[in-house]
Amino acid sequence: MIFHKKTPVFKTCFWGTLAVLLVIFAGWTAYSDDGGVVQIYKKATVPFDDEKKVDPVLSLPGKTILVQTPYQGGLFWTETRKDKMERYRCNDCHNNTYVAVSQAAEITHGDIVLDHGGQEKPLSCFTCHKEDERDFLTTEKGVQIDMDHSYQMCGQCHFRQKKDWVGGAHGKRISYWAGKRVVKNCVSCHDPHSPLFKKRWPKIYSTPFIN
Amino acid sequence: MLKKSPEKGIISFVTDTIRWNLSGGIGYQIYLCCLAAMVMLGVYAYVVQTHLGLSATNMSDIVSWGFYIGNFTFLVGVAAAAVMLILPAYMFRDKDLHKVVIIGEGVACGALVMCLLFITADMGGPLKLWHLIPGIGIFNWPSSLLTWDIIVLNGYLALNLLVPVYILYCQYNNREPDEKKYRPFVFLSIFWAFSIHLVTAFLYQGLPARPFWNNPLMGPRFLASAFAAGPALITVVLVIVHTATTFKIEKETFNKLRLIIVVSAIINLIMLFSEIFKEFYLPTHHSLPAIYLYFGLKGHFALVPWIWTAISLNFLGTLTLIWNPGRNNPKVLLPACVLLFIGIWIEKGMGLIVPGLVPSPLGEVVDYAPSWVEVCVAIGILAVGMLVVTLLIKPALIIEQRFKAQ
Amino acid sequence: MPPRNNKDRRRQRENSRLQVKSNGRREFLKGAAKTAAMGSAALLSGCGTGMFGSKEELSLRWQEYFKKNYRLMTQEEKEETIQRLERLAKMKQGVDIQMSSKAPIDGVLFGYAFSLTRCEGYLECVAACVKENNLDRKSNTQYIRIFEMEHGQMSPEVGDGKYFHEVPVEDHFYMGVQCFHCERAPCVKACPTKATWKEPDGIVVVDYDWCIGCRYCMAACPYYGRRFNWNEPYVPAAEMTKKQHYLGNRMRAKGQMEKCTFCVQRSREGRLPACVEACPTGARVFGNLLDPKSEIRFVLKHKKVFRFKEDLGTDPKYWYFID
Repeated sequence: MIFHKKTPVFKTCFWGTLAVLLVIFAGWTAYSDDGGVVQIYKKATVPFDDEKKVDPVLSLPGKTILVQTPYQGGLFWTETRKDKMERYRCNDCHNNTYVAVSQAAEITHGDIVLDHGGQEKPLSCFTCHKEDERDFLTTEKGVQIDMDHSYQMCGQCHFRQKKDWVGGAHGKRISYWAGKRVVKNCVSCHDPHSPLFKKRWPKIYSTPFIN
Repeated sequence: MLKKSPEKGIISFVTDTIRWNLSGGIGYQIYLCCLAAMVMLGVYAYVVQTHLGLSATNMSDIVSWGFYIGNFTFLVGVAAAAVMLILPAYMFRDKDLHKVVIIGEGVACGALVMCLLFITADMGGPLKLWHLIPGIGIFNWPSSLLTWDIIVLNGYLALNLLVPVYILYCQYNNREPDEKKYRPFVFLSIFWAFSIHLVTAFLYQGLPARPFWNNPLMGPRFLASAFAAGPALITVVLVIVHTATTFKIEKETFNKLRLIIVVSAIINLIMLFSEIFKEFYLPTHHSLPAIYLYFGLKGHFALVPWIWTAISLNFLGTLTLIWNPGRNNPKVLLPACVLLFIGIWIEKGMGLIVPGLVPSPLGEVVDYAPSWVEVCVAIGILAVGMLVVTLLIKPALIIEQRFKAQ
Repeated sequence: MPPRNNKDRRRQRENSRLQVKSNGRREFLKGAAKTAAMGSAALLSGCGTGMFGSKEELSLRWQEYFKKNYRLMTQEEKEETIQRLERLAKMKQGVDIQMSSKAPIDGVLFGYAFSLTRCEGYLECVAACVKENNLDRKSNTQYIRIFEMEHGQMSPEVGDGKYFHEVPVEDHFYMGVQCFHCERAPCVKACPTKATWKEPDGIVVVDYDWCIGCRYCMAACPYYGRRFNWNEPYVPAAEMTKKQHYLGNRMRAKGQMEKCTFCVQRSREGRLPACVEACPTGARVFGNLLDPKSEIRFVLKHKKVFRFKEDLGTDPKYWYFID
């Protein structure tokens, strides 16, 4: 049985097969499953040398201090605190000599509002500051913490936030995405004495539909 | 023996066509002047739009397509409907419809020109259209459906222009047009007509971002409403031709057209019911556009009276055509067809585009009504369409009449 | 022969009619020509060359009109067009801008995370974005939208995107939405001229001058990520950000599409986008997805993240997480 090219059966078979193949090909090209971006990044395990690959990323001015806990990418820095404190070197006043000053009420920390811990577990001054060593913070277990590393203090109770802060899910990065990682300290954003944020007005009015 | 007159050339064909187009009674001249005035109005409004940018329209980032695209969508359907004349005339060799098929093709050409003008009027950068030409620009085919639309619309315009021009040219020279030459193109134009409207439907259907459009019934519904509205318009044009010129059309032709319209309109209504059921049986967030269209949403009710008017006109027109009280009397058919046409125009123009875009993908509801610029440009484009139809049909009928008289 | 006589007679009649008509036609054509000449003379005289700009500006704009799609340009052509654009900005607005055509960095795929716990609705990101990206001040274009949402719901569609009162409000949280730079972006597929595409570093960009303004991409975007210039955008020269990128924050014209570009002028130089930098609470995390030690990877690994309208399969590179 030789298929003569002109028979209707042959023609139908030919065009029908062609049509089916075309549809399959179209579907195959349209749908490509490489797992999406989740698969792409999961497969990316080689560290990215941002110092080398990104054109000179300027390092930020300003004082930073190396954080004692490294993150998943190595070392990172945070803002110093001591240079921003008004009257650091507490022992300048808190020693055995008398100090005569005006505005004594202010200078004796009368301006500090202590609202930390709420109703359940309110903190007192002495939870973090010990009388005999005012230049440092002292943990519950008696470990002394430098003022620049106050995150270790906060991390006692807020260990989840500290873990997130070290990793990058909490807090704010103030350097560039490439290069040296510098983040804000806990106390850069949260006033350690009354950490709750106050309400404020938005910066701008959302006006999407004015033509 | 008839002595064959020498072949009149193309130039004579063109000049004769122009001459026939410009000549006519006083009514015809006034009609042409009115159309010219409307075109001037459209041009002025478009100049305003060019100057101010598209902010001269009432479109916004939410309703990014409006009156222009609505009209474009509807008119593609009207253009596609010429196939409902071509199919019986050339395939089934129906004599009645063969007589008027040239009018159908003329209407299709006019509608297509209007479509292309609406798209151009809607674009933000029409001077950059050359970016679409493959070779010097980039043509994102087959990925983007707009490129498919460009191909099919222009191809259909070419088919609907060149085949009748060939036939008319032969008849102008008093010889029978060679069927073997144009029949394959007629075949092609039948399939092409379905494709232009399916591709235009797919433009909307293929966007998962717009749940009002993203349903498989868009394409078939477009076809059904097109085959109801298009022949309705053709019926209106035929009635005008029948009453205003010496070209007479039998009642049998009107009856056949009426049947085509009735079947398509019924299918359209069944599909409408199917859509309404899907939206309102168990409404989800995806039904919000339909709720906005039919009942209003969050205090915005702009489209509600329009859609209910459209549906009523649709039903009224369909029922009148089914019942056929005048026994195909053109005086009864004309208003029924006009009502049906307007109903489908509302439903498939603004009643399709605006609910597709409202609520926005983030759930925000705005109202939209075309600004004066959009309305005037649309009037101008409508006038251009009518001019094209008139300027194509008038010489065509003259040539046909003369040929028949030979 | 009778038919010929009839034809002759008909032709004679037509000829005579023609003569009458042709006189009328001739008059009409004469009149039309006169009006056209007068009209064009009026147009030209009324304008003069000053209306359309100086000769240099016209020549620059002429060259700009014929340039290719950015992706197809050679490095030389890119530099030429940047020089022309810098010169045009100096002429039209009197600003000295520095435009860059910096290519994507190898081995980088940008990702973004938004913390729903940390956002307090301050809209600092919106203000910074408007300033950094030279967004039109007349129509108040904003790439970023922030929605105030009641607890118990997770879709911005039921939130309030137009709030303006003290924030944060009790029992409400804030969710930010902008272009998510999808890996399978519907807008890229829809564009008929390929004026928008996904760069190798993951950013979906628009070549503004190539865009024809059809707005199909806007219909295709499920996230309201794209904006259109309905009018000619205006930014006061004093507020303009001068460091620009061709695909980023340069000044657009009316009739062109624009969108968030993850601040391509900043991120390709290692800097954070303006919104990330501006957020006072650190609710926004940005980094390189291909770097296993980046912050964004930490978030994706340790936090429960989700993406907006994930069921549409667009594969966006913008995740939300809750502490």
